[in-house]
Amino acid sequence: MKTNSLWVDAFRRLSRDKTAMMSLVIVIIFSVVAILSWMGILSAGWSQEVGGSNMPPSAEFIFGTDLFGRSVFDKVIHGTQIAMSVGLVTSLIAIPIGVVLGALAGYFGGWVDDLITWFYTTFSSIPNIMLLISITMILGKGIFAVYVALGATGWGSLCRLIRGEVMKHKEREYVQAAGAIGGGHMRKLFIHILPNVTHLVIINASLQFQTAIKSEVILSYLGLGVQGEPSWGTMIDDAKLELARGVWWQLAASTLAMFLIVLAFNLLGDALRDALDPKLKGK
Amino acid sequence: MTTPLLSVKNLTVDFHTQEGVTRAVNNISFDIPAGKTVGIVGESGSGKSVTSLAVMGLLQKPAGKVESGQILFNGNDLLLNNEDQMRKIRGNEISMIFQEPMTSLNPVFKVGAQIAEVLTIHKNMNKKQAWDRAVDLMNQVGIPSPAQSAHKYPHEMSGGQKQRVMIAMAIANEPKLLIADEPTTALDVTIQKQVIELMMNLQQQYKMSMMFITHDLGVIGDLADDVVVMYRSNIVEQNHVKSIYEGAKHPYTKGLLACRPNLGANPRRLLTVSDFMNEEGKELVVPAERLTVYDKELIPSHQGEGTLLEIKNLTTNFPIKGGLFGRTIDHVHAVNDVSFKIQKGKTFGLVGESGCGKTTLGRTILRLIEPSAGNIIYNGQDITNIYGEELRLLRRKMQIIFQDPYSSLNPRMTVGEILAEPLIIHGIGNSKAARLDMAKELMDKVGLKVMHLNRYPHEFSGGQRQRICIARALMLRPEFVVCDESVSALDVSIQAQVLNLLLDLQDEFKLTYIFISHDLSVVNFISDEVAVMYGGKIVEMGAASKIYQNPSMEYTKSLLSAIPKGQPKHF
Repeated sequence: MKTNSLWVDAFRRLSRDKTAMMSLVIVIIFSVVAILSWMGILSAGWSQEVGGSNMPPSAEFIFGTDLFGRSVFDKVIHGTQIAMSVGLVTSLIAIPIGVVLGALAGYFGGWVDDLITWFYTTFSSIPNIMLLISITMILGKGIFAVYVALGATGWGSLCRLIRGEVMKHKEREYVQAAGAIGGGHMRKLFIHILPNVTHLVIINASLQFQTAIKSEVILSYLGLGVQGEPSWGTMIDDAKLELARGVWWQLAASTLAMFLIVLAFNLLGDALRDALDPKLKGK
Repeated sequence: MTTPLLSVKNLTVDFHTQEGVTRAVNNISFDIPAGKTVGIVGESGSGKSVTSLAVMGLLQKPAGKVESGQILFNGNDLLLNNEDQMRKIRGNEISMIFQEPMTSLNPVFKVGAQIAEVLTIHKNMNKKQAWDRAVDLMNQVGIPSPAQSAHKYPHEMSGGQKQRVMIAMAIANEPKLLIADEPTTALDVTIQKQVIELMMNLQQQYKMSMMFITHDLGVIGDLADDVVVMYRSNIVEQNHVKSIYEGAKHPYTKGLLACRPNLGANPRRLLTVSDFMNEEGKELVVPAERLTVYDKELIPSHQGEGTLLEIKNLTTNFPIKGGLFGRTIDHVHAVNDVSFKIQKGKTFGLVGESGCGKTTLGRTILRLIEPSAGNIIYNGQDITNIYGEELRLLRRKMQIIFQDPYSSLNPRMTVGEILAEPLIIHGIGNSKAARLDMAKELMDKVGLKVMHLNRYPHEFSGGQRQRICIARALMLRPEFVVCDESVSALDVSIQAQVLNLLLDLQDEFKLTYIFISHDLSVVNFISDEVAVMYGGKIVEMGAASKIYQNPSMEYTKSLLSAIPKGQPKHF
C-alpha cells in the first residue's frame, strides 16, 4: 500500500480547499508579474509620457494616466515588483533570524533564553517608524533601508512562537528517545524538533509577507520608503491631492492591487493553518 | 418482568469520513435494568464509547450518524428527541464521567463552582444553595475537608481527587443512569480501587443504574451485574457477570479473561485473544502446554550470571526555583538514597504510584537525568561521571522503551527512518540499504509487517507503535533495557501480546530489563526481583514470589489489596 507523509497529506487537503487554491493562484500571478517587471519585460516604460495628463480609464489605458501622462497600469505593475520584493526580502531576513533564535532559546533555556528574550523584547519595543527613520539616517532613504528596517523588526513574533513550540516539543518522549539512542543536541533540535514546527514557519511566512507589503505601503505613503519610482504607497500619496479633482483611478488601481494580494495571503495563511496543523489530525 | 431503564435495540452507527463509511456499531441490543450495573467491555475501536455517546446524543456531527435502531429510556426513544429535549436529559437524568480527569475539568474555575453550575442549570437553585449542596456532594464522594476543597482549582488536586469531583458533578442531580467511560483507566491501582468502591456505594445510595465502559474485564468483576462484550462493532457475548467469569462462551471473551496476568503463578507466556480465535473469528483449541503454569525460579534460563548493574546510594534532586531572580530555594528528592543490584539476564521490577520517583530513577540510571549523588556501576565501570563520546558509546548498551506510544515516535519520520537513525548515529551499516535491511530484520522479530517500512507512525495502532518503539530500542543490540510503563497505555489484550514479545526478545537477545509499572500483576508476571518505591525510596525489595506472598511493609500490603481480583461480587 502506498503511504503519504504528513506533508503530502497536507497538500492534498489544501488542494481540496477552493478558496485556498484561488488565493494561491493570485499569489502566483502577482509573483510572475513582479518577476517579469524586474526582468524589464513588463512596465519597463513606466516613466515615459504615453498620453495626456490625468486621462480617465479607457480601452487604451485601462487604469488611465497620471498627472505627467504616464500609464497608471504600468505604475501598478512596477509597484507590484516593489511590494513583492519587500515581502520576499524581509521574509528572507526575518524568518531565519526568528527560527534560529527561537529554536536556540526554546531548546537550551537558561541564560541563552534570557539573552534572546531580552533581545527580541527590546527590538519589538522600538516603533518600526522610529527605527526606519534612524536607519534611513545611516543608509539614506530608499528601498534598501525599507528591507533592513522591516527585516530587522519582523522576526520577534516568529521567534516567540518557535521558542514556545520548541520548549513544548523538547519534553516529548520522541526527543528523549533520540537522546537515549545517542543523538546530540544538534540532531535533537534540527532533525527531530524543527521538522515538527516547520508548518508554523510556513503559516507565519504567508502572514509575514503581507504584513511587510502593508508596511511598505505605509512607509512609502509617509515619504520614508522608496524614492523616485512608483510604489503602491507613493501612488496613494500622489492620489490624495488629485482625488478632490475627481481623479480617482490612480488611488483605485493601487488600492485594488494591494487589497487582492493582502487578502490572498491572509486566506492562504488560514488554509495552511488548517491543512498543516498536525493537532487537527486524528490519532 | 418490568421494563428496563435503558433499552438499546438494534442500534447501528456509521461514521462518514472522506475516506468512506466506517461502521462503528453494528446492530447491537442490550438492556440496563433499573438499579443495576452493566459493564461494556471491549478493546479500543470496538464501538463501546460510540455506544455511550449515542445514548447521550453526543455523537460527533455530521460524521457520526445513527443508521437504524432505538434507544429507549424509560420507554421513550431518545433518538427522536431534539437538541433541547436532550439537553434537559443530559446531566439531569443521564450523566456521564469521562476517562481523563485532567482535561474534563475547566482549569479556570474553582471545583466547587463547577459542581454548583450543574445544580443551577437543572435544579433552579440559587448560588448559595448550589454551593452548599456542592460542598455536601464533595463530602459524599470522600474529598477531605470539603468546605475548603471547594475553593480549590483543578490543578491543586490529584488525579484521584479530580475524578471524585467529576463523580460529584455526575451525581449532583441524582441521575437515573450514570455512564462511566473508562473512569479508572488513567488512575493508579490504589486510587482505582477507592474510586470503584465509591461508585458502588453511590449507586446503592442513589439507586442509580450504571453503564460502566472498560477494556479490562478484571475491573468489572467487583462492580457489574451484567456484562456486554463488544468486539469489532458487534456484541459477541452478554450475560450475568457470574456466568461470564465461570463459563464464557465466545472465544474473544475467553481470551480477554485469560490475558490478564494474575498475582499467583502464570503460564510461561500469557494467553492472548489470538490463542482462542483466529483472524476470521473462528474458535481455536488452546494447546495444553500454553496453559501450564510455571514457577519462575525453576527455569534455568532465568538464573543470573553475575551482576550487570549496581546502584549505590543514588539520589536525584530537582531544584525548586523561587523568588524574584529565580534562585534555587529548595530541592525535591525525587530519588532518595536508593541502592540495588541487577543480575545479568534478569528482570528487575519497580512498582509504585505516580510521583514515587520510579520514572526518575529509570532515567537517572540511563543518564538521561543527571544524578545528584551516588554511583551507577555498569558492568564494573562507574558511569556516574562519564560524558561525551564515552557516554555515547554507552548508549549502545543501554536503551529505554517509553510509556506513551503516541508521543515517543517522531510524526515526521517513517518507520524505516526511525529504525535506521540509531545506526546512523553510531556509524553502523555501510549504506542506507544495509541499514534498512537491519531495520527489516527487527521489524519481523517484533511482529510488524516488513512492507510497512515506509509508513508514518500515525498509520499504526497503539500496540503496533509500541512494537516500533521496542524495535528502535533493540536496533543497537543493547544488553540492558529500561521499560518505563511500556504497557500501561495499552489495552489488556494488546498488553499481553507486548509482554510476551518482551519475554521472547529477552530470551533471544539475553536482555536485562528494569520494568517500571504501577500495575503489580504485570510486574509480578514479568519480573524476577521486585522493588516497591514510595516517596523516592525503596521500601521493600526481594524475589517477586516472596514479596507477593508475604509482603512485610504496610504500604506493599495496601498496594496488593487494591488489585481488582477479577471475581464477581456475589456467588
